[in-house]
Amino acid sequence: MTTIDPAAVKKLVVACDAGMGSSAMLASTLKKQLAKSGIAVEHTSVQGIPADADLVLTHAGLLDRARGVAGSTPVVPFNLFLGDPAVTKVVTALQNGRPFDV
Amino acid sequence: MSETNPAELLAPGSIRLQETAADKTEAILACGRALVEAGCVTEDYPPAMLEREQSISTYIGEGVAIPHATLAGKEAVVRDGLCFLRFPDGVDWNGNTATVCIGIAAKGEGHVDILAQLAQILVVPERAEALRLADDPDTVLRMLTPSAATEGE
Repeated sequence: MTTIDPAAVKKLVVACDAGMGSSAMLASTLKKQLAKSGIAVEHTSVQGIPADADLVLTHAGLLDRARGVAGSTPVVPFNLFLGDPAVTKVVTALQNGRPFDV
Repeated sequence: MSETNPAELLAPGSIRLQETAADKTEAILACGRALVEAGCVTEDYPPAMLEREQSISTYIGEGVAIPHATLAGKEAVVRDGLCFLRFPDGVDWNGNTATVCIGIAAKGEGHVDILAQLAQILVVPERAEALRLADDPDTVLRMLTPSAATEGE
């Protein structure tokens, strides 16, 4: 369990297999939701998770691969591309600037 | 820096509203065929779409699936494009029923605005239903055109 300080999150990455479909869609939604917070949101393939990511969201089925690439960067798994509670929790905490556990 | 025209990504011939499929494999292959016929992908692409589906479902909710390939399948993409296939009778998708399949072939980012628009639609149940019920290509294209302020329907 890691506690995330929202102030330290500058770049959020949504990682998926190809980075062309579901991750792109989720990232676009998060970008809108986090626009006011000044957090950059990107979508990539799992292999392409950038070193400067502060937080990674990925499908539960890709969690191990994502962790392998992300190293010490926290990775939050989700199951639903729309309305997943884990994603909602992260977004709400980032919007409110409240620390949260992943 | 030219803006991507939604009508170029989603050609009228790639919006097919009266499809039938016995199962999700047939539905995915129908999307693959539409993308092949639109010149967006080679014949290698549809099998890569099935492969991706086996690892993680592309069902995203509200009766919509967005079949696309894995990273390996990107090599089979000739040019970015989408297809919109409606299955009025629905297709079983791991226990969910998909009515709309939006097939994706992309190397670039031009299609992301349309996906963003799709996400905006699907979080509002009434708009999601309107998309599922859209029965002419113009309506589909208009709904999926980014930053459409209001729906015409």
